[in-house]
Amino acid sequence: MKNFFYLLALIISFNLSAQENLPTSKIETLDGTTTTLQEISEKNDLFVVSLWATWCVPCKNELDAINDVYPDWQEETNVKVFAISVDDSRTVSRVKPLINGKAWEFTILLDTNNDLKRELGAATVPLTLIIKKGQVVYRHSGYTPGAEDALFEEIKKHN
Amino acid sequence: MNKTAIIIVILIPFLSFSQEKGTEKNTFINQFLNNLTGSFESNAHWYINDRTLGRFEDPNPEFDLKNEHVRVNSYLRLDYSFLDNFTVGLQTESYEPLPLLSYYPGYIGTELSNYYVNFRNNKLDITVGHFYEQFGSGLLLRAFEERQLGLNNAIRGGRINYRPTNYLNFTALYGKNRIGFEHSDGDVFGLDLGLDLIKVMDIEGLSRFKLGASYVGKNENFIAPVDESDPDNQFDTTNFPELINSYAFSLDIDFGKFFINSEYSIKGKDILYSSASLGLPKIIEGKYFDGNAILLTTGYTVKGFGVSGTFRRLENMTSFSDRQLLKPASNPFGMGSLNYTPALTKQHDYSLSNIYLYQAQSGLFIQNYGGQAGEIGGQFDFYYSFKKGSTIGGKYGTKLTANLSYWSLLDATFDQSNSSYEAELFKFGEKLYRDVNFELKKKWSKNWSSVLFYQNLAINKNLAIEGSYIPNDQQINSNIIAAETTRKLSNGRSIRLEAQHLSTEEDKKNWAGTTLEYVANRNFAFYIADIYNYGNDDDDDKVHFYNLGGSFTKGATRVSLNYGRQRGGLFCVGGVCRIVPENTGLTLNFTTAF
Repeated sequence: MKNFFYLLALIISFNLSAQENLPTSKIETLDGTTTTLQEISEKNDLFVVSLWATWCVPCKNELDAINDVYPDWQEETNVKVFAISVDDSRTVSRVKPLINGKAWEFTILLDTNNDLKRELGAATVPLTLIIKKGQVVYRHSGYTPGAEDALFEEIKKHN
Repeated sequence: MNKTAIIIVILIPFLSFSQEKGTEKNTFINQFLNNLTGSFESNAHWYINDRTLGRFEDPNPEFDLKNEHVRVNSYLRLDYSFLDNFTVGLQTESYEPLPLLSYYPGYIGTELSNYYVNFRNNKLDITVGHFYEQFGSGLLLRAFEERQLGLNNAIRGGRINYRPTNYLNFTALYGKNRIGFEHSDGDVFGLDLGLDLIKVMDIEGLSRFKLGASYVGKNENFIAPVDESDPDNQFDTTNFPELINSYAFSLDIDFGKFFINSEYSIKGKDILYSSASLGLPKIIEGKYFDGNAILLTTGYTVKGFGVSGTFRRLENMTSFSDRQLLKPASNPFGMGSLNYTPALTKQHDYSLSNIYLYQAQSGLFIQNYGGQAGEIGGQFDFYYSFKKGSTIGGKYGTKLTANLSYWSLLDATFDQSNSSYEAELFKFGEKLYRDVNFELKKKWSKNWSSVLFYQNLAINKNLAIEGSYIPNDQQINSNIIAAETTRKLSNGRSIRLEAQHLSTEEDKKNWAGTTLEYVANRNFAFYIADIYNYGNDDDDDKVHFYNLGGSFTKGATRVSLNYGRQRGGLFCVGGVCRIVPENTGLTLNFTTAF
């Protein structure tokens, strides 16, 4: 038990710092090309990353909700959304039919063995990030109805 | 303990830096903290005695004696990057004073469980220490972590990933799988080659054309057991498979709106244990069996519509990095698994849909009452969005999802006396599981949406309850219906109400359930839920499994508190399951990343 408290003390002392550098884990596009968040950030000044899975209801609710207002978002801020699926080999085959069936407009990426998820320390999905000029400026886990509006307020702050 | 002390000693200087005030030091500290990332997760349970379920009991007799009601599983991961391309990292796991109920009993105390050094640039990715990896879809090799199941089979050793060009991807690895806090006796080595042909040649009409080939070897010394009843009878080690060579090939093609992913694996000859029902399981002498798997997924998608079908045939595809883990009943926690053959069924969201679950039957058993060589089956998924403005679509759209899965034993004939069998190529044997389900999601207005769900399923009873198949066992047939509605209120508040019902003539008969969820804002959410086994024949077993709780989320931190009674049975994540006993208590979960 004592060890556990050592751990806790450690966390509290580390938790003062925030992650700024982008992960270098390799992720795949739907046509099989490898990329990283760093590479995406070289081409996009401001973008949103959402870690999701086909089996995660709040994730799908979040992306459905964003998809509904996505044209307005893009018109106003030019922000792009990258939806990165953490589905493993059991469910990854659902990704393509699902995203089309749902008519999502986002760029879809795959993190099939969860390397990126681990590097981001995401215990659960959805995890939503706003990345500006190569740095994570906003991070939120979980989705509650209406959180997309708050996310957009954050995006506008950084635009 | 010693290892923990070492970590703390290593980390103390870093902690003390944060106390320093000098400007120069501050830059250094900032630099250091910028390069340090990590995450922490802690799941604490306080198990209490329950008037209805009885005294809190641990199914592990040794742990039960210790009578520990408060238990905490914690995970700390730290990664430090330096010199542009290097990262060092570690994971410490703590199970104090005992692991949570029905976790692998080898998880005890606090230990440094994973550590690694990594070098990564555009072409090379080299790791020494623990790493996670997956070849193809994992039919031969997958090292991964699933904390909710207590699984972490990270490989400790070395791995090189080399991408000389944008169309070639090469991985070589060597190591031993983690088993609890220990590592396997068997050595694992693998090679994986990926070729992206679309980048090399322009093939008209194709948008993806990938070839893959892998090799996985497992080597483990064998010392022939002495037959105590007949010491002169020596185990004949001729052709004994100390080294198991396995191969896999894959081909992925996308053309226009169609896609095909295919994989074929051959697992080298491995030993088999005799059935536990014939006395102490022993390695069958002189009979070694290879295995194979076929996985085929194909689909068609256009905007607003998607359909996909998966077919899989598994024959003797159970694979562990330690030979003795194959022994019947010796590995209930699924430790040291080398490959990944999860159940390919839909993971459902409603609690009543998670009572009767299928587990993939990949193993070979030649037993006195019959046998089992593997499974064969598949599933279909269907997604459709009704156009906005159409009759069904309405102003805000309507979405339909359907899923159908069917799994049966691979048809085979067994010769018990000769310990041999013959499996059919594509013949379906006894039905194990069938699931047909539909989900309709309708958005009525900007702030109001509903979901309607229906499921019909049939499953081999023993498979659903104990996680293992019994020939010609009773079949459980059930119908589940669920409806939910979500109303968005102002200022980020929302309310969700859910009702569900399961009807069946078998097992524990009917269930009803409901959930009410209130989101106060982006940070706070509360819920209350209950499932009630009102149809149970025994009045004493008409139990309410109630739960209530709340969560707080901010940035990368989430804290949730839950009080209630958990239904026992199979608990599955990603098609892999463990059996959890009924229990009641208070749960505190804390996760953060930095």
